[in-house]
Amino acid sequence: MRRLLAVVTLVGAALLLLEVSPGAAKGGASPPVQASATDQNLAIIVNHANTVDDLTLKELRTVFLGERSHWPNGRRITLVMMDPGEPERTAVLRDICRMNETEFSRHFLQGLFTGEVFVSPKTLSSPTGVRKFVFNVPGAIGYVRASDVDGTVKVIRINGHAVDDPDYPLRIEARASK
Amino acid sequence: MKDVDKARASRNGFQKYFRRVSSEIARHSSSLLLFMVFCVVIAVGAFMIKDLHTATDQAQRMYAGSVQGLREIGELQYEAQETRRSTLYALTTNDSNLQVEYADQSRSADGLVTEGIAQYLAGARMTRELELGRRLQRDWAEYLKVRDEVLASILEGSTKEAVDLDLSGGVPSFDRVRQDLEEVKRLYDEQASEQLKLVGVSSRRSVLRLVGVLCLTLLFAIASVWVIQRSKMLSALKLAKMQMDFVASVSHELRTPLAVICASAQNIADGVVDEKEQLAKYGSVIGHHSRQLTELVNQILLFASTHEGRHRYTLRPLQVSTIIESVITNTRELAEEAGFAVETNIEENLAPVRGDFSAVCQCLQNLVLNAVKYGGSHPAIAIRAFRGGADVQYGEEVRISVEDHGIGIDASELQQIFEPFYRSPVVKAAQIHGTGLGLPLARSIAEAMGGRISVVSKVGVGSRFTLHLPASQVVGTEKRAERVAQL
Repeated sequence: MRRLLAVVTLVGAALLLLEVSPGAAKGGASPPVQASATDQNLAIIVNHANTVDDLTLKELRTVFLGERSHWPNGRRITLVMMDPGEPERTAVLRDICRMNETEFSRHFLQGLFTGEVFVSPKTLSSPTGVRKFVFNVPGAIGYVRASDVDGTVKVIRINGHAVDDPDYPLRIEARASK
Repeated sequence: MKDVDKARASRNGFQKYFRRVSSEIARHSSSLLLFMVFCVVIAVGAFMIKDLHTATDQAQRMYAGSVQGLREIGELQYEAQETRRSTLYALTTNDSNLQVEYADQSRSADGLVTEGIAQYLAGARMTRELELGRRLQRDWAEYLKVRDEVLASILEGSTKEAVDLDLSGGVPSFDRVRQDLEEVKRLYDEQASEQLKLVGVSSRRSVLRLVGVLCLTLLFAIASVWVIQRSKMLSALKLAKMQMDFVASVSHELRTPLAVICASAQNIADGVVDEKEQLAKYGSVIGHHSRQLTELVNQILLFASTHEGRHRYTLRPLQVSTIIESVITNTRELAEEAGFAVETNIEENLAPVRGDFSAVCQCLQNLVLNAVKYGGSHPAIAIRAFRGGADVQYGEEVRISVEDHGIGIDASELQQIFEPFYRSPVVKAAQIHGTGLGLPLARSIAEAMGGRISVVSKVGVGSRFTLHLPASQVVGTEKRAERVAQL
């Protein structure tokens, strides 16, 4: 009898929890965890005049390594990076370029010298600077933390996933793990 | 019948009230004129203050409109320069962070300019202003388009391209914006000049208006003072003349009986008269003229005391027949001497009147003596007493009329005959002596009794003076009479 009561109590508590947090019932994760995960996503931003809405990781790699010079609308691509050591930059090098800082620098030096690289990245020290740069330059592409995005720039989908999608491929490592 | 009496009484009351008001106005004409001058001065002062306020408001509006407008245009010019300056600053550095900062500054400044132009357009009223505002808006939008391209090129690192873009598109479009702003400024200057002219014209108009109003006020004040002085002078002259006439009349009235008394006394003293019968006759003459003198002096003293309000009357119910009998007795000798027949007619069951016996007798006696004096060639006097209509103000009244068939009074003199010392030029010319106090005294007494005197006269036909006295049984009348008597 006591076991039966305990089981009923546990089931009731579980149902109550599910009722209070419907998101948990759908996605299997609680909202704070979900919000935190979205904040850790890295948004790729372009100017609103840019017609591109979706890029694959492969295309993104081409862009970020300076191997592509123009957008489909003919605008010259301007690559915007954050200062070395910033977690967003680290994530881009790791997940998109698949290089470390030294390899990335060497790639651009070598590419510019040989003519294989068409774009030299601009370096900015803050997410606000990156956002303003992208806002001012129609062909610019940059990245910021998802929580730093505002209406002045456009966020593009990666591999068909929006930045708040659970399967979004670009994530920033927590600062603690740096 | 009662209705007719009531209507008549109402009309009489209104006439009396109107007369009293007219008399009050005439008496206080100087004060009224001064009050009018005061009112005019106050009104002119208020007008001047209002005019000054209007002029000040106009000047303030001009200042607010022009100076504020010029200040706003100055701010617009500065912010437009700031927009361009920040863009050019971005060209001077390779640091992307600084370039973004300059771009941001440029955009902030251009936002202010765009807002300022929108405000200018919203406040524009004239066609020229609207056209200029729209042109400025269009030129500014064109410049911003070029500026955006220049900023993008700078941020992309294409400095040469940015410079080329700025030289080919930015400089000409910004020059157009600068010219537009200069034109707006010039327009404000022109408007300010026009408003200044308007204020000048308005100011001159105000000054002229004020001078005109002041002149009119001055003229009005001078005219008022002149009228007051003239009125006072005329009144003083009239009074002086009346007093002189009075003194002359009184002197004459005194001298005649005195001369008779003196001559009679001298004859007796000289022994010219020694017979007993002659002595008795001389004594009678001296007595008669002495009484005449006493009567005259009493009348003057009574008028003086009545006029100054010092006289006190004892009011009590009086039978009209008793009054008339007394009057006839007192005047019989004089009337008989002049050959006048006095006819009396007293209505039956006439209510008693309330008054002071000797005063009412004196009043009526004056009327009878006047009838004798001015009775002319038809020596007949009719004294009638009858019940009058109900007076709205005084209630039931009794009327005693004295009618003669003498020289009559001209209609233009009917009001003046009750003024003290007034003597008609006609009676003066006819050598009919008098003091001019008989009728004023009679009227004063009548009013003190709570009544009045009315007169109907026609030149060459005769006159009828009527003494209106309140009937004694009416409570309101008693109160009124007592009150008037106490005054």
